[in-house]
Amino acid sequence: MIPLSWYLIFSAGLFCIGLFGVLSRRNAVAILMGIELMLNAVNVNLIAFWRYLDPEGISGQAFAIMVFAVAAAEVAVGLALVISIYRRRNTVVADDIDLMKW
Amino acid sequence: MATETIIWLIPLPPLLAFFLIVLITNRVKWLSHSIAVGAALLSFIGSMVVFFRAIGVEHLGEHPFEASVRWLATGDTSLHIGILVDPLAAIGLFFVAWTVLMIFIYSVGYHNFGQPKGDHDRPGLPPHGATQIDAQGHKHAVLSVEPMYSRFFAFIGLFAFGMYTLVISDNLLTLFVGWEIMGLCSYLLIGFWFQKPAARAAAIKAFITTRVGDVFMLLGVAYLYSQTGTLSFRTIFTEGTLKHLAEQPSVLPWFSIAGLIGLLLFIGTIGKSAQWPLHVWLPDAMEGPTPVSAMIHAATMVSAGVFMVIRIFPLLSVGAEHGMTSAMFAMGFIGSFTALFAATIAVAQRDVKRVLAYSTISQLGYMIAALGVGAYVAAAFHLVTHAFFKALLFLGSGSVIHGMEHGVLHTGDHAMDPQDMFNMGGLRRKMPVTFWTFLAGGLALSGFPLITAGFWSKDEILADAFAHGYWLVFLVLALAALLTAFYTARQITLTFLGEPRTEEARHAQETPWTMTLPLVVLAIFAIGFGWVGIPEDFLGLHLPANWFHEFVGGTLANPPEAIQFNFLPLLTSFVVSLGGLGLGYWVYKGVKAGSADPLEKPLGRLYVWIKNKWYHDEVYQRLFVDPAYWLSEQFAYLFLDRTVIDGFLHLFARLGPWIGSSLRQYIDLPVINGLIGDGSAKVTQTLGRNLKVVQTGKVQQYMLFALIFALITLVYFLFTIKP
Amino acid sequence: MVSNLLTLILFTPTLAALVLFFLPGNEKKLLRWAAFLGSLIPLGLSIALWFQFKVSQPGFQFEERYIWYEALNSSYHLGVDGLSLTMVLLTTLLTPLAVLASFSITDRVKPYMILFLLLETGMLGVFMALDLLLFFVFWEIGLIPMYFLINQWGSEKGEREITKTWKVPARTYASFKFLIYTMAGSLGLLLAIQMIGVASGTYDLTELFKLWPKIAELKNIPLGLPLETVKAIAFWAFVVAFALKVPVWPFHTWLPDAHTEAPTAGSMILAGVLLKLGAYGFLRLVLPLYPAEAQRYAGGLAFLATMAIICGAFAAYGQMDFKRLVAYSSVNHMGFVVLGIAAAAYAAGTQDAVIALNGAVLQMFNHGLSAAGMFFLVGVVYERAHTRDLADYGGLFPLIPVYGGILIFTSLASLGLPGLNGFISEFLVVRGSWPILTLPTALSMIGLLFTGAYILKAIKHVLHGPTNPTWIGHISEINSREIFVMVPLMVLILWIGVWPGWILNVINAAMNTMMKTMF
Repeated sequence: MIPLSWYLIFSAGLFCIGLFGVLSRRNAVAILMGIELMLNAVNVNLIAFWRYLDPEGISGQAFAIMVFAVAAAEVAVGLALVISIYRRRNTVVADDIDLMKW
Repeated sequence: MATETIIWLIPLPPLLAFFLIVLITNRVKWLSHSIAVGAALLSFIGSMVVFFRAIGVEHLGEHPFEASVRWLATGDTSLHIGILVDPLAAIGLFFVAWTVLMIFIYSVGYHNFGQPKGDHDRPGLPPHGATQIDAQGHKHAVLSVEPMYSRFFAFIGLFAFGMYTLVISDNLLTLFVGWEIMGLCSYLLIGFWFQKPAARAAAIKAFITTRVGDVFMLLGVAYLYSQTGTLSFRTIFTEGTLKHLAEQPSVLPWFSIAGLIGLLLFIGTIGKSAQWPLHVWLPDAMEGPTPVSAMIHAATMVSAGVFMVIRIFPLLSVGAEHGMTSAMFAMGFIGSFTALFAATIAVAQRDVKRVLAYSTISQLGYMIAALGVGAYVAAAFHLVTHAFFKALLFLGSGSVIHGMEHGVLHTGDHAMDPQDMFNMGGLRRKMPVTFWTFLAGGLALSGFPLITAGFWSKDEILADAFAHGYWLVFLVLALAALLTAFYTARQITLTFLGEPRTEEARHAQETPWTMTLPLVVLAIFAIGFGWVGIPEDFLGLHLPANWFHEFVGGTLANPPEAIQFNFLPLLTSFVVSLGGLGLGYWVYKGVKAGSADPLEKPLGRLYVWIKNKWYHDEVYQRLFVDPAYWLSEQFAYLFLDRTVIDGFLHLFARLGPWIGSSLRQYIDLPVINGLIGDGSAKVTQTLGRNLKVVQTGKVQQYMLFALIFALITLVYFLFTIKP
Repeated sequence: MVSNLLTLILFTPTLAALVLFFLPGNEKKLLRWAAFLGSLIPLGLSIALWFQFKVSQPGFQFEERYIWYEALNSSYHLGVDGLSLTMVLLTTLLTPLAVLASFSITDRVKPYMILFLLLETGMLGVFMALDLLLFFVFWEIGLIPMYFLINQWGSEKGEREITKTWKVPARTYASFKFLIYTMAGSLGLLLAIQMIGVASGTYDLTELFKLWPKIAELKNIPLGLPLETVKAIAFWAFVVAFALKVPVWPFHTWLPDAHTEAPTAGSMILAGVLLKLGAYGFLRLVLPLYPAEAQRYAGGLAFLATMAIICGAFAAYGQMDFKRLVAYSSVNHMGFVVLGIAAAAYAAGTQDAVIALNGAVLQMFNHGLSAAGMFFLVGVVYERAHTRDLADYGGLFPLIPVYGGILIFTSLASLGLPGLNGFISEFLVVRGSWPILTLPTALSMIGLLFTGAYILKAIKHVLHGPTNPTWIGHISEINSREIFVMVPLMVLILWIGVWPGWILNVINAAMNTMMKTMF
């Protein structure tokens, strides 16, 4: 088997890419994509730790399934919000949606 | 009835009369005077009964009539008050009873009872006459009845009560009570015609001047009480007590206790008996109706002063044996000085009553001087004879004035002064009874030899002074006697002899019997009373015992010796009396209407001085009255209270608001409101304003911040969590 | 023999006030008569108390004691001895007369009468209380109604200035001065009472009389102060509080203002009773609790008393305001009370001291009668003439002779004429003080002389002299209600002057006992 650390580095990298996307993309949908990437990176991390440290247990798998569910729900809600905003403001640029400010 | 019971009751009828008249019978004149005269009569009868019983008792001085009751509780003991009738009090009762009764009867006529109400009479002013229309339709001006008739009788009733109380007291306290009540009545009666500013002022002057004496007397009484534990005469005048008082020094080391108390009490007499320097009230007291003058200045009030010093003579004389104690020295000096001083003033007075006023002051000086030289019996003798003849003279002068007022009503000239002797003259024909009785009184006053009471009493004083070697007193008193005779003759000559000088005098009329009867009665005493006191060895003869001396002398524990008869004082009495009378008649017999006093030119400056009473009133006004008013209004009230004390308090009043507003201005507003209240708000505001920029509304920025803080926290925990 | 007689006397006025509270406010006649009848009940009860009091029995009688503040050891303790009995009688006598005198008040009768009755409770409570806290409570209760009476029903005219630019109405000035000044004293009183209570563990007077003068060790000393300091502070606090009330010169300036601006009945009670609270405080609290300190400072007190007698008389003589003249006469008369107290303090235990105290207490009673009478008479003429300026009157005697007679009688009582009550008390004070404090007594004669001067000045301006034409036909004689107010006072004045035994024996027994137990 390949060493655990490769999976961890991979997931960290993936996480950072996702984070970078969240922080720097203009498009709100792209931000959501970034969030998806981060969530999946977390998933990879979880599965890697499960496979290498405790293959008999189910907590890792269960946790990963939870994350899938949360990610799915969150994307659904997030996209619904974005569409709602688009209908109102005719833009999906995150920076333009700044009403909740001082 | 037991004598003691009668004595207790003697002062009560006039007191009862006072209350009855004031509360009930005020409006009904005849009822009021009946109650008053009836009361005086009852007291008179009581006094006479007691007197006659008293003179029947052997050695009354050793076992007098006495009784006492507990009055004031004082810790474990109490003060007793009661009655005492020893020879002195018995004599006192005698002359007081007679003179008071005569004055009461006289007052009925004096206030014109039975006359109609005046045209313009008002309560508070003397009556001014009424217009009567007779059967033919002619208008006559007649004397009108006094508007405040009943009130007068109420007041003299109270007065009589005071005097009787004083005479029968067995202790200094009730004596003082009677004393002050008479002071009150003199105020009320001198100011009887209160609407007259002069009367009003005279009343106050009398009260205040006597009060000066009274406050000293009060101290004397308190001092005596605190030293002996009692105020009863019999208990104090025992040898042991007196000795103790005479030997111990008092609070003022130059005097023994007895000496200081004596002096303090004597000052009371100076006030009450109008001795110099507290004599100024008595002449002004002539503002009152004449019966008042008779009562106050002859029979009762001024006599009370002398009566008191006679009473306390054992206290005054203890310690000096046959010399003079300090109190006696003071009395000798003041008495003789006053006698001469007042006599000089009397010589230049025009008002008939004022002459008598100064005469009273002078005669009282005689009595005081007599006591000063130790002539106990002589002083008492002169007190009694003086009461009779002076009351007679005053009532006589009132009769004269009434007669003159008749004349005034006839002529209608109300500007003329009916009391000025220079407006009178020849009244002996118009008013014979008044004339003869007045003459009797005047001769008694002058000490006309042998047939008048005044002669015997005056002569005894002179003889006593001479016998004990007090030359100066003797000379001064003799000189005063000369002047007395002189001004008396002057008065009689101007008033009764010669021809009437004015129309009013020509139309004068004799007064009714209610006024002339008392004059006659008093005249009898003025002549006859002296004969009870004729010295045994008079003119070297062997006469019956001197009843008065034996009786009154018995009051003292050591009865005084009768003095040896000496021709020199007798001769002096003869000379001054007859000489003065003669001189007075000679100078004044030819005075015509409108002319000035014959003495004015010869005496020159001196005349001005004596006419103006040696300027005492003016000096007192400057020296005492004005400064007193300044002290009161300006100093005590305006300065001390308003400026100093209230000014100080107002500082606090201003301090309060000042502190309050300072606190508000310097602490509340800047610090609490400004710094803490508004300040915190500002800080929060600024903080908020500056911090709010973080809320950009941009999601990615929020996430960036979240990331940064997460990293910081991660680093923090990495470095702090121990493995 | 009602066992709670004192409580009854004390609270009947409050009950009467409560009854009045529920009566309609515009029924003036009903309110007046209800208040009058309500104030007669304590009078009747206190007369009964007088007859049941046993003169020969020393100490307090009719005692009642109930727990009040158990934690502080303060109880509701009432009792009377000869001194307080006399004062209770005075209070219950003057209040109905003052209420009767107030029948001429037409503005807001209900609160006026209620305040009066509450005032009565306050005064009675002070005299009856045998517990220090209770004493203080009633002491303060006596202040507030009087403030309102002066402030709301006082004289309408007049102004006083505090600074050149700051002027206030006279009655505001007077009521405020009275309240703040005496309350300032009361603060010290409260402090002292607390000190005593805390330091000795009890507030009860009967216990403190035995305990406090000899106290060597305190239970809880405040702030760790030494015993002598505590005693000294408490002594001075007491003295200041009572000195303000009596009033002792130079703390007296509130009196002329308060008396002058108060309504007639207010002045009657103020002069008649409230001043006596201060003197009572001296006699009941200062002398028995602090005999040594009192003796040390008696000379100073005597000096102040003499100043009061002299300056009060002078200031009275210099007045042209009738009411203010009578007010200053109160300063003068209370000076005699203080002189007697000072003499007793200086020579406690001697018979002279007893005599001085007899005089002082009797003077308290007598002055209550004559001052109330004088203020009432001033009020009578003021209601008719609407002026108090002596120069405005003039020769009123022929117009109002009955009033004139009554005025002269009462003035003479005030003057101390023998035969009337004032003389007895003044004589006893002079007699008692002379051996003890000779110089002050001698100097006080100056005051006595000027007393005569100012009394005669008042009579001179009001009654004597030419009649001022302004008043002819415009001044009515004294009416029967007003005569009814004066008659009891005049009867008592004469009775005490002639035969004082009935009251003097009671006072004497109490003072004799007090002097004997003090040393």
